[in-house]
Amino acid sequence: MTVTEPVTASSAVAVVTEYFGRAIDSLASWTDVFADDLRRARAAGPVTTDVLDELVEPYARRTFDELDLPVYGAGFIAALDSLADARSHLAWWQGADRAKLVLASQSVNKEHIDYSELEWYRVPQATGHPHVAGPYVDYLCSDEYTITIAAPVALDGEFVGVAGLDLLIDQVERDLLPRLRGFGDDLSIVNGVGRVLLSTSARRETGDSIRGAALEGFVRGACPGMALEVLTAR
Amino acid sequence: MPGAPLTRGLDPGAPAGSSAASPAPRAPQATPRLAPENDRVSSPARSGRPTRLHRAVFQPIGDEGRAALVERRIAEAIIAGVLPSGERLPAETELARSFGVAPATAREALLALRERGLIVTRRGRHGGSFVSDDADPAAFARRTLVETSRVALRDLAAHYLAITAAAVELASRRADPSEIGAIRARLERVRDDDLAAWRRVTDDTQIELAALGQSARLTREQMRLQGELSPFFALIDTDADARHRNRAALLAVLDAVSDGDEQRAVALTRQKVQSCVDWLIDLRERTTS
Repeated sequence: MTVTEPVTASSAVAVVTEYFGRAIDSLASWTDVFADDLRRARAAGPVTTDVLDELVEPYARRTFDELDLPVYGAGFIAALDSLADARSHLAWWQGADRAKLVLASQSVNKEHIDYSELEWYRVPQATGHPHVAGPYVDYLCSDEYTITIAAPVALDGEFVGVAGLDLLIDQVERDLLPRLRGFGDDLSIVNGVGRVLLSTSARRETGDSIRGAALEGFVRGACPGMALEVLTAR
Repeated sequence: MPGAPLTRGLDPGAPAGSSAASPAPRAPQATPRLAPENDRVSSPARSGRPTRLHRAVFQPIGDEGRAALVERRIAEAIIAGVLPSGERLPAETELARSFGVAPATAREALLALRERGLIVTRRGRHGGSFVSDDADPAAFARRTLVETSRVALRDLAAHYLAITAAAVELASRRADPSEIGAIRARLERVRDDDLAAWRRVTDDTQIELAALGQSARLTREQMRLQGELSPFFALIDTDADARHRNRAALLAVLDAVSDGDEQRAVALTRQKVQSCVDWLIDLRERTTS
Protein backbone atom coordinates (compact mmCIF):
# COMPACT_ATOMS: atom_id res chain seq x y z
CA MET A 1 0.00 0.00 0.00
CA THR A 2 2.62 2.52 0.95
CA VAL A 3 5.37 3.48 -1.38
CA THR A 4 8.50 4.96 0.04
CA GLU A 5 11.11 5.80 -2.51
CA PRO A 6 14.61 6.95 -1.70
CA VAL A 7 14.88 10.61 -0.79
CA THR A 8 17.03 11.23 -3.83
CA ALA A 9 13.85 11.02 -5.85
CA SER A 10 14.25 11.75 -9.50
CA SER A 11 10.71 12.90 -10.22
CA ALA A 12 8.23 15.28 -8.68
CA VAL A 13 5.81 12.37 -8.23
CA ALA A 14 8.46 10.52 -6.21
CA VAL A 15 9.15 13.57 -4.02
CA VAL A 16 5.46 14.04 -3.24
CA THR A 17 4.84 10.32 -2.70
CA GLU A 18 7.81 9.98 -0.39
CA TYR A 19 6.77 13.06 1.63
CA PHE A 20 3.18 12.02 2.35
CA GLY A 21 4.22 8.36 2.42
CA ARG A 22 6.20 9.16 5.58
CA ALA A 23 2.95 10.16 7.27
CA ILE A 24 1.15 7.03 6.08
CA ASP A 25 4.01 4.81 7.26
CA SER A 26 4.04 6.56 10.62
CA LEU A 27 0.35 5.85 11.17
CA ALA A 28 0.77 2.27 9.97
CA SER A 29 3.47 1.79 12.61
CA TRP A 30 0.94 2.07 15.44
CA THR A 31 -2.54 1.21 14.21
CA ASP A 32 -2.12 -2.55 14.75
CA VAL A 33 -0.61 -2.33 18.23
CA PHE A 34 -3.20 0.25 19.16
CA ALA A 35 -5.96 -2.12 18.02
CA ASP A 36 -4.49 -4.72 20.41
CA ASP A 37 -4.50 -2.15 23.24
CA LEU A 38 -8.13 -1.44 22.48
CA ARG A 39 -9.04 -5.13 22.49
CA ARG A 40 -7.48 -5.51 25.94
CA ALA A 41 -9.22 -2.37 27.20
CA ARG A 42 -12.59 -3.67 25.98
CA ALA A 43 -12.02 -6.96 27.75
CA ALA A 44 -11.27 -5.06 30.98
CA GLY A 45 -14.44 -2.95 31.00
CA PRO A 46 -16.39 -0.21 29.24
CA VAL A 47 -14.20 1.94 27.00
CA THR A 48 -15.00 5.56 27.82
CA THR A 49 -13.54 8.76 26.34
CA ASP A 50 -11.09 8.93 29.27
CA VAL A 51 -9.94 5.35 28.73
CA LEU A 52 -9.51 6.04 25.01
CA ASP A 53 -7.55 9.27 25.61
CA GLU A 54 -5.14 7.40 27.85
CA LEU A 55 -4.62 4.68 25.24
CA VAL A 56 -4.06 7.12 22.36
CA GLU A 57 -1.88 9.74 24.03
CA PRO A 58 1.47 7.87 23.88
CA TYR A 59 1.03 7.18 20.15
CA ALA A 60 0.05 10.78 19.45
CA ARG A 61 3.09 12.06 21.36
CA ARG A 62 5.35 9.62 19.55
CA THR A 63 4.02 10.92 16.22
CA PHE A 64 5.08 14.46 17.14
CA ASP A 65 8.47 13.36 18.42
CA GLU A 66 9.58 10.84 15.85
CA LEU A 67 8.06 11.74 12.51
CA ASP A 68 10.19 13.94 10.27
CA LEU A 69 7.27 16.13 9.16
CA PRO A 70 5.81 19.38 10.52
CA VAL A 71 3.05 17.57 12.45
CA TYR A 72 0.45 20.04 13.73
CA GLY A 73 -1.99 17.57 15.28
CA ALA A 74 -2.20 13.85 15.91
CA GLY A 75 -4.47 11.29 17.50
CA PHE A 76 -7.39 8.98 16.96
CA ILE A 77 -11.02 9.66 16.09
CA ALA A 78 -13.45 7.07 17.41
CA ALA A 79 -16.06 5.49 15.17
CA LEU A 80 -19.53 6.87 15.95
CA ASP A 81 -21.32 5.01 18.75
CA SER A 82 -18.24 2.96 19.59
CA LEU A 83 -17.64 4.39 23.08
CA ALA A 84 -19.49 3.79 26.32
CA ASP A 85 -20.07 7.41 27.29
CA ALA A 86 -20.22 9.52 24.11
CA ARG A 87 -21.57 9.28 20.59
CA SER A 88 -18.39 10.70 19.06
CA HIS A 89 -14.94 11.60 20.29
CA LEU A 90 -11.65 12.97 19.09
CA ALA A 91 -8.66 11.85 21.13
CA TRP A 92 -6.52 14.57 19.62
CA TRP A 93 -3.49 16.67 20.51
CA GLN A 94 -2.43 19.72 18.55
CA GLY A 95 -0.57 23.00 18.29
CA ALA A 96 2.80 24.20 19.44
CA ASP A 97 2.07 23.03 22.99
CA ARG A 98 0.45 19.79 21.80
CA ALA A 99 -2.61 20.53 23.90
CA LYS A 100 -5.50 18.10 24.21
CA LEU A 101 -8.40 19.16 22.03
CA VAL A 102 -11.50 19.96 24.09
CA LEU A 103 -14.31 20.78 21.68
CA ALA A 104 -16.93 21.73 24.22
CA SER A 105 -14.95 24.72 25.40
CA GLN A 106 -14.55 26.29 21.99
CA SER A 107 -16.76 29.03 20.70
CA VAL A 108 -19.03 27.52 18.05
CA ASN A 109 -21.09 24.37 18.34
CA LYS A 110 -18.28 22.14 17.25
CA GLU A 111 -19.25 19.25 19.48
CA HIS A 112 -22.37 18.78 17.38
CA ILE A 113 -20.50 18.52 14.13
CA ASP A 114 -20.99 15.11 12.62
CA TYR A 115 -17.58 14.09 11.38
CA SER A 116 -18.76 10.87 9.78
CA GLU A 117 -19.12 12.60 6.42
CA LEU A 118 -15.82 14.42 6.51
CA GLU A 119 -13.27 13.22 4.00
CA TRP A 120 -10.61 12.13 6.52
CA TYR A 121 -13.12 9.87 8.26
CA ARG A 122 -15.39 8.79 5.43
CA VAL A 123 -12.75 7.67 2.92
CA PRO A 124 -10.61 5.43 5.19
CA GLN A 125 -13.83 3.94 6.59
CA ALA A 126 -15.20 3.20 3.11
CA THR A 127 -11.99 1.94 1.50
CA GLY A 128 -10.17 0.35 4.42
CA HIS A 129 -7.03 2.15 3.26
CA PRO A 130 -5.07 5.18 4.45
CA HIS A 131 -6.00 8.46 2.80
CA VAL A 132 -4.44 11.87 2.27
CA ALA A 133 -7.41 14.23 2.77
CA GLY A 134 -7.50 17.86 1.79
CA PRO A 135 -6.40 20.53 1.42
CA TYR A 136 -9.38 21.80 3.41
CA VAL A 137 -10.15 24.41 6.06
CA ASP A 138 -10.31 22.32 9.19
CA TYR A 139 -13.00 24.05 11.24
CA LEU A 140 -13.15 21.16 13.68
CA CYS A 141 -9.58 21.00 15.00
CA SER A 142 -6.86 23.32 13.75
CA ASP A 143 -9.03 26.12 12.27
CA GLU A 144 -6.32 26.30 9.62
CA TYR A 145 -5.82 25.24 6.02
CA THR A 146 -4.89 21.64 6.54
CA ILE A 147 -3.98 18.26 5.08
CA THR A 148 -5.04 15.26 7.17
CA ILE A 149 -3.48 11.85 6.69
CA ALA A 150 -5.80 9.22 8.13
CA ALA A 151 -5.67 5.45 8.43
CA PRO A 152 -8.54 3.15 9.39
CA VAL A 153 -8.29 1.05 12.55
CA ALA A 154 -10.16 -2.24 12.60
CA LEU A 155 -10.65 -4.67 15.44
CA ASP A 156 -11.56 -8.18 14.29
CA GLY A 157 -13.09 -6.76 11.15
CA GLU A 158 -15.01 -4.02 12.97
CA PHE A 159 -14.18 -0.41 12.00
CA VAL A 160 -13.41 1.37 15.28
CA GLY A 161 -12.09 4.71 14.05
CA VAL A 162 -9.25 6.44 12.26
CA ALA A 163 -5.72 7.25 13.34
CA GLY A 164 -4.66 10.56 11.93
CA LEU A 165 -2.24 13.43 11.77
CA ASP A 166 -2.56 16.99 10.51
CA LEU A 167 -0.09 19.01 8.46
CA LEU A 168 -0.72 22.70 7.85
CA ILE A 169 -0.49 23.71 4.18
CA ASP A 170 1.58 26.69 5.27
CA GLN A 171 4.30 24.34 6.50
CA VAL A 172 3.95 21.83 3.68
CA GLU A 173 4.52 24.72 1.26
CA ARG A 174 7.74 25.65 3.05
CA ASP A 175 8.92 22.02 2.96
CA LEU A 176 7.91 20.92 -0.51
CA LEU A 177 7.95 23.95 -2.76
CA PRO A 178 11.74 24.42 -2.78
CA ARG A 179 12.15 20.73 -3.62
CA LEU A 180 9.64 20.84 -6.49
CA ARG A 181 10.91 24.00 -8.19
CA GLY A 182 13.66 22.13 -10.01
CA PHE A 183 11.09 19.95 -11.79
CA GLY A 184 9.31 22.80 -13.59
CA ASP A 185 7.94 26.29 -13.21
CA ASP A 186 4.29 25.30 -13.74
CA LEU A 187 3.88 22.12 -11.77
CA SER A 188 1.04 21.56 -9.34
CA ILE A 189 0.01 18.95 -6.80
CA VAL A 190 -3.76 18.42 -6.99
CA ASN A 191 -6.10 16.18 -4.97
CA GLY A 192 -8.90 13.88 -6.07
CA VAL A 193 -11.30 16.74 -6.88
CA GLY A 194 -8.64 18.71 -8.76
CA ARG A 195 -7.92 21.16 -5.94
CA VAL A 196 -4.44 22.66 -5.97
CA LEU A 197 -2.40 21.79 -2.89
CA LEU A 198 0.74 23.58 -4.06
CA SER A 199 2.03 24.92 -7.31
CA THR A 200 5.45 26.05 -8.47
CA SER A 201 3.60 28.68 -10.54
CA ALA A 202 3.05 31.82 -8.49
CA ARG A 203 -0.17 32.45 -10.44
CA ARG A 204 -1.88 29.24 -9.36
CA GLU A 205 -3.44 29.65 -5.95
CA THR A 206 -3.62 26.89 -3.44
CA GLY A 207 -7.34 26.07 -3.15
CA ASP A 208 -8.14 26.80 -6.79
CA SER A 209 -9.24 23.96 -9.02
CA ILE A 210 -7.84 22.46 -12.18
CA ARG A 211 -10.50 20.18 -13.57
CA GLY A 212 -12.47 19.37 -16.69
CA ALA A 213 -11.19 20.92 -19.88
CA ALA A 214 -8.46 22.80 -18.00
CA LEU A 215 -6.68 19.47 -17.46
CA GLU A 216 -5.86 19.17 -21.16
CA GLY A 217 -2.82 21.38 -20.88
CA PHE A 218 -1.06 19.12 -18.37
CA VAL A 219 0.85 15.88 -18.18
CA ARG A 220 -0.63 13.98 -15.25
CA GLY A 221 1.34 11.80 -12.87
CA ALA A 222 -0.54 9.83 -10.19
CA CYS A 223 1.09 9.38 -6.78
CA PRO A 224 0.74 5.69 -5.90
CA GLY A 225 -1.14 4.90 -2.67
CA MET A 226 -2.68 8.35 -2.30
CA ALA A 227 -5.30 10.35 -4.17
CA LEU A 228 -2.83 12.99 -5.33
CA GLU A 229 -1.58 13.85 -8.79
CA VAL A 230 1.26 15.97 -10.05
CA LEU A 231 0.22 18.10 -13.04
CA THR A 232 3.01 19.46 -15.23
CA ALA A 233 2.16 22.08 -17.85
CA ARG A 234 2.85 20.83 -21.38
CA MET B 1 -13.73 57.08 23.62
CA PRO B 2 -12.36 53.65 24.40
CA GLY B 3 -11.97 51.09 21.68
CA ALA B 4 -15.01 49.09 22.71
CA PRO B 5 -17.41 48.25 19.88
CA LEU B 6 -20.84 49.84 19.93
CA THR B 7 -22.46 46.49 20.14
CA ARG B 8 -21.40 42.95 20.47
CA GLY B 9 -24.66 41.46 19.42
CA LEU B 10 -25.31 38.83 22.02
CA ASP B 11 -22.49 39.94 24.23
CA PRO B 12 -23.22 38.20 27.49
CA GLY B 13 -21.51 41.03 29.30
CA ALA B 14 -24.76 42.92 28.96
CA PRO B 15 -27.83 40.72 28.76
CA ALA B 16 -27.04 38.04 31.30
CA GLY B 17 -29.66 39.28 33.65
CA SER B 18 -31.42 42.61 33.69
CA SER B 19 -28.91 44.63 35.64
CA ALA B 20 -26.98 41.79 37.22
CA ALA B 21 -23.76 43.12 35.82
CA SER B 22 -20.84 40.80 35.69
CA PRO B 23 -19.08 40.67 39.01
CA ALA B 24 -15.83 39.75 37.32
CA PRO B 25 -13.03 42.00 38.39
CA ARG B 26 -12.23 44.64 35.85
CA ALA B 27 -8.78 46.04 35.59
CA PRO B 28 -8.65 49.82 35.53
CA GLN B 29 -9.04 51.26 32.06
CA ALA B 30 -5.68 51.32 30.39
CA THR B 31 -4.76 54.54 28.72
CA PRO B 32 -2.78 54.36 25.49
CA ARG B 33 0.68 55.68 25.99
CA LEU B 34 1.16 57.46 22.75
CA ALA B 35 3.33 60.43 23.35
CA PRO B 36 3.32 62.62 20.24
CA GLU B 37 6.89 63.67 20.84
CA ASN B 38 8.05 60.07 20.74
CA ASP B 39 9.62 59.76 17.32
CA ARG B 40 9.60 55.99 17.25
CA VAL B 41 5.89 55.52 17.49
CA SER B 42 4.50 58.71 16.10
CA SER B 43 6.01 59.28 12.71
CA PRO B 44 2.59 59.65 11.03
CA ALA B 45 1.51 61.94 13.86
CA ARG B 46 4.62 64.01 13.33
CA SER B 47 3.64 64.48 9.73
CA GLY B 48 0.32 65.76 11.03
CA ARG B 49 -1.66 62.97 9.39
CA PRO B 50 -1.95 59.95 11.69
CA THR B 51 -3.61 57.17 9.77
CA ARG B 52 -6.55 55.26 11.18
CA LEU B 53 -4.62 52.03 11.03
CA HIS B 54 -1.75 53.61 12.92
CA ARG B 55 -4.11 54.68 15.68
CA ALA B 56 -5.62 51.21 15.87
CA VAL B 57 -2.23 49.79 16.83
CA PHE B 58 -2.23 51.76 20.04
CA GLN B 59 -5.85 51.24 21.06
CA PRO B 60 -6.26 50.00 24.60
CA ILE B 61 -6.08 46.25 24.66
CA GLY B 62 -9.17 46.14 26.82
CA ASP B 63 -9.95 46.11 30.47
CA GLU B 64 -10.81 42.47 30.73
CA GLY B 65 -8.52 40.13 32.56
CA ARG B 66 -7.96 36.58 31.52
CA ALA B 67 -10.59 35.24 33.91
CA ALA B 68 -13.12 37.63 32.41
CA LEU B 69 -12.21 36.39 28.92
CA VAL B 70 -12.77 32.79 29.95
CA GLU B 71 -16.02 33.80 31.64
CA ARG B 72 -17.16 35.60 28.52
CA ARG B 73 -16.36 32.69 26.21
CA ILE B 74 -18.41 30.26 28.31
CA ALA B 75 -21.22 32.76 28.91
CA GLU B 76 -21.48 33.35 25.17
CA ALA B 77 -21.81 29.62 24.57
CA ILE B 78 -24.52 29.28 27.23
CA ILE B 79 -26.47 32.29 25.98
CA ALA B 80 -26.26 31.03 22.41
CA GLY B 81 -27.49 27.62 23.49
CA VAL B 82 -24.25 25.93 22.40
CA LEU B 83 -23.92 24.68 25.95
CA PRO B 84 -27.54 23.73 26.76
CA SER B 85 -29.21 23.55 30.16
CA GLY B 86 -27.92 20.66 32.22
CA GLU B 87 -24.71 20.24 30.22
CA ARG B 88 -21.73 19.47 32.36
CA LEU B 89 -18.72 21.74 31.95
CA PRO B 90 -15.23 20.24 31.85
CA ALA B 91 -13.53 20.04 35.23
CA GLU B 92 -11.60 23.06 36.46
CA THR B 93 -8.18 21.62 35.65
CA GLU B 94 -9.28 20.48 32.20
CA LEU B 95 -10.82 23.87 31.56
CA ALA B 96 -7.60 25.58 32.60
CA ARG B 97 -5.53 23.36 30.32
CA SER B 98 -7.87 23.81 27.38
CA PHE B 99 -7.96 27.61 27.66
CA GLY B 100 -4.26 27.77 28.46
CA VAL B 101 -4.78 29.62 31.74
CA ALA B 102 -3.87 28.91 35.37
CA PRO B 103 -6.31 26.76 37.37
CA ALA B 104 -6.95 29.73 39.67
CA THR B 105 -8.05 31.75 36.63
CA ALA B 106 -10.47 29.03 35.53
CA ARG B 107 -11.82 28.88 39.10
CA GLU B 108 -12.36 32.64 39.14
CA ALA B 109 -14.28 32.46 35.84
CA LEU B 110 -16.50 29.63 37.13
CA LEU B 111 -17.21 31.62 40.28
CA ALA B 112 -18.31 34.60 38.21
CA LEU B 113 -20.55 32.42 36.03
CA ARG B 114 -22.11 30.95 39.16
CA GLU B 115 -22.81 34.40 40.56
CA ARG B 116 -24.50 35.36 37.30
CA GLY B 117 -26.73 32.31 37.64
CA LEU B 118 -25.51 30.79 34.37
CA ILE B 119 -24.08 27.67 36.00
CA VAL B 120 -24.70 25.69 39.14
CA THR B 121 -22.25 23.56 41.03
CA ARG B 122 -23.17 20.23 42.54
CA ARG B 123 -21.04 18.38 45.03
CA GLY B 124 -20.45 14.68 45.39
CA ARG B 125 -19.43 11.85 43.12
CA HIS B 126 -21.53 13.02 40.17
CA GLY B 127 -20.80 16.62 40.97
CA GLY B 128 -19.27 19.36 38.89
CA SER B 129 -20.38 22.53 37.16
CA PHE B 130 -23.55 22.37 35.06
CA VAL B 131 -25.33 24.86 32.85
CA SER B 132 -28.21 26.25 34.88
CA ASP B 133 -31.74 24.96 34.20
CA ASP B 134 -33.11 28.42 33.59
CA ALA B 135 -30.54 29.36 30.98
CA ASP B 136 -33.00 29.86 28.11
CA PRO B 137 -31.29 30.97 24.87
CA ALA B 138 -34.54 32.23 23.31
CA ALA B 139 -35.24 34.50 26.27
CA PHE B 140 -31.67 35.80 26.15
CA ALA B 141 -31.98 36.43 22.42
CA ARG B 142 -35.29 38.32 22.71
CA ARG B 143 -33.91 40.48 25.49
CA THR B 144 -30.72 41.19 23.55
CA LEU B 145 -32.72 42.06 20.45
CA VAL B 146 -34.72 44.64 22.38
CA GLU B 147 -31.61 46.03 24.05
CA THR B 148 -29.71 46.36 20.78
CA SER B 149 -30.29 49.55 18.81
CA ARG B 150 -31.58 49.39 15.27
CA VAL B 151 -28.40 50.92 13.91
CA ALA B 152 -26.30 48.32 15.69
CA LEU B 153 -28.44 45.49 14.31
CA ARG B 154 -28.11 46.83 10.76
CA ASP B 155 -24.37 47.13 11.27
CA LEU B 156 -24.11 43.58 12.55
CA ALA B 157 -26.03 42.41 9.48
CA ALA B 158 -23.71 44.41 7.22
CA HIS B 159 -20.68 42.70 8.76
CA TYR B 160 -22.31 39.29 8.49
CA LEU B 161 -23.24 39.93 4.85
CA ALA B 162 -19.75 41.11 3.93
CA ILE B 163 -18.14 37.95 5.26
CA THR B 164 -20.83 35.54 4.07
CA ALA B 165 -20.95 37.01 0.56
CA ALA B 166 -17.17 36.90 0.22
CA ALA B 167 -17.08 33.30 1.43
CA VAL B 168 -19.90 32.23 -0.87
CA GLU B 169 -18.23 33.94 -3.82
CA LEU B 170 -14.98 32.07 -3.20
CA ALA B 171 -16.87 28.81 -2.72
CA SER B 172 -18.62 29.29 -6.08
CA ARG B 173 -15.22 29.41 -7.68
CA ARG B 174 -13.62 26.61 -5.76
CA ALA B 175 -16.13 24.04 -4.52
CA ASP B 176 -16.64 20.80 -6.38
CA PRO B 177 -20.33 20.04 -7.11
CA SER B 178 -19.96 16.75 -5.21
CA GLU B 179 -19.05 18.72 -2.08
CA ILE B 180 -22.18 20.85 -2.38
CA GLY B 181 -24.17 17.66 -2.99
CA ALA B 182 -23.02 16.27 0.36
CA ILE B 183 -24.12 19.44 2.20
CA ARG B 184 -27.45 19.38 0.39
CA ALA B 185 -28.07 15.76 1.31
CA ARG B 186 -27.48 16.56 4.97
CA LEU B 187 -29.85 19.54 4.86
CA GLU B 188 -32.54 17.47 3.22
CA ARG B 189 -32.34 14.81 5.91
CA VAL B 190 -33.32 17.29 8.62
CA ARG B 191 -36.97 18.20 9.10
CA ASP B 192 -37.24 21.93 9.52
CA ASP B 193 -39.88 21.60 12.23
CA ASP B 194 -37.21 20.16 14.53
CA LEU B 195 -36.03 23.66 15.34
CA ALA B 196 -32.84 22.82 17.24
CA ALA B 197 -31.64 20.35 14.61
CA TRP B 198 -32.58 22.72 11.81
CA ARG B 199 -30.67 25.62 13.37
CA ARG B 200 -27.60 23.42 13.90
CA VAL B 201 -27.55 22.06 10.35
CA THR B 202 -28.12 25.54 8.92
CA ASP B 203 -25.26 27.05 10.93
CA ASP B 204 -23.03 24.16 9.90
CA THR B 205 -23.99 24.62 6.25
CA GLN B 206 -22.97 28.27 6.34
CA ILE B 207 -19.64 27.37 7.94
CA GLU B 208 -19.03 24.56 5.48
CA LEU B 209 -19.77 26.87 2.57
CA ALA B 210 -17.14 29.24 3.94
CA ALA B 211 -14.69 26.35 4.32
CA LEU B 212 -15.28 25.35 0.70
CA GLY B 213 -13.98 28.78 -0.26
CA GLN B 214 -10.64 27.42 1.02
CA SER B 215 -9.96 30.51 3.14
CA ALA B 216 -9.09 29.79 6.77
CA ARG B 217 -9.49 33.45 7.74
CA LEU B 218 -12.96 33.81 6.22
CA THR B 219 -14.02 30.50 7.73
CA ARG B 220 -12.91 31.55 11.21
CA GLU B 221 -14.74 34.86 10.86
CA GLN B 222 -17.85 33.07 9.55
CA MET B 223 -17.76 30.76 12.56
CA ARG B 224 -17.48 33.67 14.95
CA LEU B 225 -20.31 35.63 13.33
CA GLN B 226 -22.49 32.55 12.95
CA GLY B 227 -22.08 31.93 16.67
CA GLU B 228 -22.98 35.54 17.40
CA LEU B 229 -26.06 35.60 15.16
CA SER B 230 -27.31 32.04 15.62
CA PRO B 231 -29.55 32.92 18.60
CA PHE B 232 -31.19 35.66 16.50
CA PHE B 233 -31.65 33.25 13.60
CA ALA B 234 -33.24 30.82 16.07
CA LEU B 235 -35.88 33.48 16.82
CA ILE B 236 -36.66 33.74 13.11
CA ASP B 237 -36.94 29.94 12.92
CA THR B 238 -39.99 30.05 15.20
CA ASP B 239 -41.91 31.72 12.34
CA ALA B 240 -42.76 28.83 10.00
CA ASP B 241 -43.19 31.03 6.91
CA ALA B 242 -39.89 32.78 7.44
CA ARG B 243 -38.22 29.44 8.11
CA HIS B 244 -39.53 27.96 4.86
CA ARG B 245 -38.39 31.02 2.93
CA ASN B 246 -34.93 30.77 4.48
CA ARG B 247 -34.73 27.10 3.70
CA ALA B 248 -35.59 27.71 0.06
CA ALA B 249 -33.12 30.60 -0.08
CA LEU B 250 -30.32 28.48 1.36
CA LEU B 251 -30.97 25.70 -1.15
CA ALA B 252 -30.93 28.28 -3.96
CA VAL B 253 -27.55 29.58 -2.75
CA LEU B 254 -26.22 26.02 -2.73
CA ASP B 255 -27.44 25.53 -6.31
CA ALA B 256 -25.74 28.72 -7.44
CA VAL B 257 -22.47 27.72 -5.74
CA SER B 258 -22.69 24.27 -7.29
CA ASP B 259 -23.21 25.87 -10.72
CA GLY B 260 -20.17 28.05 -10.12
CA ASP B 261 -22.35 31.14 -10.54
CA GLU B 262 -20.65 33.66 -8.23
CA GLN B 263 -22.96 36.57 -8.99
CA ARG B 264 -26.17 34.66 -8.39
CA ALA B 265 -24.79 33.13 -5.18
CA VAL B 266 -23.85 36.57 -3.85
CA ALA B 267 -27.14 38.20 -4.89
CA LEU B 268 -29.19 35.42 -3.23
CA THR B 269 -27.08 35.69 -0.09
CA ARG B 270 -27.68 39.44 0.05
CA GLN B 271 -31.45 38.97 -0.26
CA LYS B 272 -31.46 36.32 2.41
CA VAL B 273 -29.52 38.38 4.95
CA GLN B 274 -31.65 41.42 4.15
CA SER B 275 -34.89 39.56 4.79
CA CYS B 276 -33.53 38.12 8.06
CA VAL B 277 -32.52 41.49 9.45
CA ASP B 278 -35.86 43.00 8.37
CA TRP B 279 -37.67 40.24 10.23
CA LEU B 280 -35.62 40.88 13.37
CA ILE B 281 -36.17 44.62 13.19
CA ASP B 282 -39.91 44.11 12.78
CA LEU B 283 -39.95 41.93 15.88
CA ARG B 284 -37.93 44.52 17.75
CA GLU B 285 -40.33 47.30 16.71
CA ARG B 286 -43.38 45.28 17.78
CA THR B 287 -41.78 44.49 21.14
CA THR B 288 -40.60 47.98 21.94
CA SER B 289 -43.55 50.04 20.69
